[in-house]
Amino acid sequence: MQGVQIALLAFLTCGYFALAGFDYGVGVLLRLIGRDERSRREVLRAVTPFFLGNEVWLVAAVGVLFGAFPRLEGELLSSQHTVFTVLLAGLVCFTVAVQLRSPAWDFLLVGGALVVAAGWGVLLGRVLGGPSVLWGAGLVVLFSLHGAVFLAWRLSGGLRERATRTAVALVLPAAAFVVAAVLTAGSAPAPAFGMTAVAALALLGGVWWALRGGRHRVAFGCSAVLCALPVVGVFGARSVVTVSVMADESTLRVLTWAAVVVVPLVLVFQWATWWMSRAAR
Amino acid sequence: MDALGLARLQFATTTSFHFLFVLLTLGLVTAVALMQTRATLSADPVHARMTRFWGRLYVVNYALGIATGIVMEFQFGLNWSGLSTYAGDVFGAPLAMETLVAFFLESTFLGLWIFGWDRLNKWVHLALIWLVALTAYASAFWIMMANAFLQHPAGHELRDGVLRMVDFSAMLANPTFGTAFLHVCFAALTAGGVFLTGVSAYHFIRRTAEVDFFRRSLRLGVVLTALATPLLVGFGFGQFPIVERYQPDKMDTVGALDGTGLGFMIQIGFVLLLVSWVTVPLLFRDWVVRMRFPLYLMVIGIPLPFVAAIGGWLFREVGRQPWLVQGLLTTQDAMSHVGQDQVLVSFVAFTAVFALLAVADWVLIARLARRGPVSSDEAPVSPLVPAL
Repeated sequence: MQGVQIALLAFLTCGYFALAGFDYGVGVLLRLIGRDERSRREVLRAVTPFFLGNEVWLVAAVGVLFGAFPRLEGELLSSQHTVFTVLLAGLVCFTVAVQLRSPAWDFLLVGGALVVAAGWGVLLGRVLGGPSVLWGAGLVVLFSLHGAVFLAWRLSGGLRERATRTAVALVLPAAAFVVAAVLTAGSAPAPAFGMTAVAALALLGGVWWALRGGRHRVAFGCSAVLCALPVVGVFGARSVVTVSVMADESTLRVLTWAAVVVVPLVLVFQWATWWMSRAAR
Repeated sequence: MDALGLARLQFATTTSFHFLFVLLTLGLVTAVALMQTRATLSADPVHARMTRFWGRLYVVNYALGIATGIVMEFQFGLNWSGLSTYAGDVFGAPLAMETLVAFFLESTFLGLWIFGWDRLNKWVHLALIWLVALTAYASAFWIMMANAFLQHPAGHELRDGVLRMVDFSAMLANPTFGTAFLHVCFAALTAGGVFLTGVSAYHFIRRTAEVDFFRRSLRLGVVLTALATPLLVGFGFGQFPIVERYQPDKMDTVGALDGTGLGFMIQIGFVLLLVSWVTVPLLFRDWVVRMRFPLYLMVIGIPLPFVAAIGGWLFREVGRQPWLVQGLLTTQDAMSHVGQDQVLVSFVAFTAVFALLAVADWVLIARLARRGPVSSDEAPVSPLVPAL
């Protein structure tokens, strides 16, 4: 039962980073790829069908964190109070600015996306014990890369070209971040952390190769996994998710039943959203 | 003010804002689901147009409300880690169920409903809005269950210094849960009905050309309010014996803040009950529209259910102090070990963004509501909303 809940938490958190990652990436790149109001609207239209669905992965992950890992939840959130406060304020600004899209609000949209991306980076850096600035910048690069790859896949014409160029240009900085993250990881994290880094570099190579060949879905798959990797790497290396912080068997049983019913349903319906917006193109 | 006072003030402020969004979301989604059902069954295009117009107001409110919901969820761990450490096993379970069973599904269904407009089979599309409504009420169900545990802990035992869940069904059977949950549901329906009525009345005041459209909306609003308010009041008063039995201190220590809240809530409940039933016969031959002065009252009345809901919530929560979990954990002991500065920063930050959200929500809803059901949409306000 404990293993199921750890897997569930990991799955939901990775899902959040892999999916909402491109929302934030697109937000960061909005003014860079969309040079005028019309193209900016087109950029945002590519994201909005998935926007609600992507964001709730976070809600579900934190819900499971609270229900199944209550002592980790209290410890993690209250010890990183300020990071979470800033991150959440950024998240709210970003959400509002996307929903109430108007050129005057763009500083909230781009700024909010930057704050959220950097916030998650700083948080991961702190949990790992690596330099916060590096991790903050690193996650901004990773999410931006993911966003650019998503746009290269979903847009066409000049916008697609610009998104592809941006994505290709971000591959090297992303690789530099991965190497720097390993070098500065500090006191002997588990060898699994190094393995994660090797996988990340391989995925970056995959993104680069797939973009060159115009295989956009492959590139998107690679960048999605790439965004989820830091979570696995950091929490795996620090082994903070232990049985002692978890709820009792009776609580876990209730939650497991709920997850067994709900998660497949969500997957089917979110897949339907992707399928439908593909059919509409 | 010390860190504890600030943290409490932060929770009260953010929850009040969050509650405003939730009430309208629950009330409107029910009305929209009813409208879409008629639209699917009938050939008259007015029902489809109603679904689109009111559905858009609903989506705006939901999309902004979700941001407040995310912050709410994090707040427990940020400022009240003592609660998750001590009672997380029990209190966290319904909260986790809410995010998984309700919130997670609800947003997924809603995203599909918004972008499936004109693309999905009409029966599938109708099923989606009912699923959205169902999961929305499921959210309220789990949240009220979590709250009931704080009012009257049940289904737990103390083991190794922390509370463990022993009986999930005892949590479901908690006497402070069922009646309160139904009370909240009918409060939301009332808020939705009053909102429909008020916005429709506004268009009649402006002598709208969409007479059929707003006549139907007004009728639905008045009937919804008239049906919901007797049950709302009933389940409200039904809670007094329960409170007296399980939380006797709550009635005795009623102070200025929660006492005023309770008073306002009861008065507003009775006023809405009375007025909605007086209005029902006046719907005959549009008398209420021809008399005109009731229309102004309907517009003025829009905020009333929201004021009442905040009042009721203050009574329920303030009256429990100094306990966070009645008889087991004090609010003071539940506080995280964070400094006053940190709480001050989060208080200012969250209050500011929530106020921004609420104002943005009201301005946008007012703008869309005033514009009425226009078919061409030359000035989209957001890339998400115009998809409707």
